[in-house]
Amino acid sequence: MRESGIRSLWALCALGVLPLACAASENSVDRKVAADAKGEVLISNVSGTVDVRGWDRNEVQVTGQLDEDVERVDVETSSGRTVIKVILPKGSHDEGDAMLEIQVPRASSVEVSAVSADVSSKGVVGTQRLKTVSGEITAEVSGEDSEVRSVSGDITVHGNGKPGSLRVSSVSGGLDLTNGAGKLDVVTVSGDARVHMGESSEITARTTSGEVELHARLSKDARASVESVSGDLTLDLGNAAGLALEIESFSGDITGCLAGGVERVSKYGPGVRLNSRTGDGSARVRAKTLSGDIEICDR
Amino acid sequence: MTTRRVKGIGELPRDIPPSRDLWPAIAEAIQADLAMKAVPGTGRRVGWWPAVGLAASVALVAVGVFIGKNFKPDEAPPRLVNTLTPASDAGMVKASLRQIEYEKQRDQLWNEVQAKLATMSPAEREKVGKSLATLKQSIQEIKDALGHDPANALLQELFVSTSQEEMRVLTTVRDSGRQEL
Repeated sequence: MRESGIRSLWALCALGVLPLACAASENSVDRKVAADAKGEVLISNVSGTVDVRGWDRNEVQVTGQLDEDVERVDVETSSGRTVIKVILPKGSHDEGDAMLEIQVPRASSVEVSAVSADVSSKGVVGTQRLKTVSGEITAEVSGEDSEVRSVSGDITVHGNGKPGSLRVSSVSGGLDLTNGAGKLDVVTVSGDARVHMGESSEITARTTSGEVELHARLSKDARASVESVSGDLTLDLGNAAGLALEIESFSGDITGCLAGGVERVSKYGPGVRLNSRTGDGSARVRAKTLSGDIEICDR
Repeated sequence: MTTRRVKGIGELPRDIPPSRDLWPAIAEAIQADLAMKAVPGTGRRVGWWPAVGLAASVALVAVGVFIGKNFKPDEAPPRLVNTLTPASDAGMVKASLRQIEYEKQRDQLWNEVQAKLATMSPAEREKVGKSLATLKQSIQEIKDALGHDPANALLQELFVSTSQEEMRVLTTVRDSGRQEL
């Protein structure tokens, strides 16, 4: 990220050391357009930051600072759809930073696409689709249907505790989800995932080598499925009515307060499994690993 | 059914027609063999993978190929469908062809991803490269385990889902940046 460099430059500007250089190297953007209360807002930026904030006006406002390598920021709106796009000069090597703060109507449906830009969102209650390659994503999501995706950037998502549908994925970034509820789908390759869900009806989590730590309160008839190749799984799944467990590992261990009935899959080969139930077993939990250990509890 | 003792070899019929037409399966097998030879680096599988494991894994991988081929990044991942059927000659041939197609697509994706990695910053390249290597190694570990225990349902399930995951991740990395903007 080049944010620190830009901040230093601004500090120098503030001190009056480089006023002319500042005037030449940075531009600002300040645009405001009318928007539907439940319209779509599409934002794309290569590098820098995108901070989306929900507000109570039927307007979209774009403010921010642009690097000298940024040509302009286009803001277009029609038929309930507002498109904000950072334009770099042709032949540019994606190096122009744009630090954008974008206010949108709270119930907007927001889609942000970035390459190395960090993305954050706050106060938006509509659908969100936040994607970046290497930037970090920090998002507040609420209800509705949301998707947060990165390749190598870390992801932090905070829900509002109301049931919704959330999909979060990263290749090598870490995931940290708190206060989610409803349906969740989490995928990582090597990044670790820490998930704290409230009342949940459906959870799927999959990792290749990352560790998954899942705390959730499962609703009656909920389904939770967690899979890993070599990453360890820590599952803390509560359900008042009871759980039906189907846990299996090829060469890892199964431990935890619910692991009383662990048995070997075969007398001669590797593998352990746990098929048991507590209460009426109405919430079903499946967990599978190749070599990762599984710890399961319902505390 | 009537029987008659044969007194000499000359009494035996010169030709015995098969109970069914075998040619379609033979022709298909020949075509598959030619197709395998036409693709560089792919030969007939030999050695440790028993037929049942091959049939199961090829059928399972075919699911991965199908999903990988039809995967669109903006769509939720499709649910796994168990397509295991009793292995037949024609089924094996088709599975082999699908396997070849899958491997071609996967190799092509890996090449495209290598090109994509080259455009990334060193730190990002290292981070993503490590994840991809982990994924590749994980698939190999599952394959190795399947070699020892080909009928293991857990391993088959992990193999399918990890192969799907490989295709999904390769597509994501290849299209990253491009799809975002």
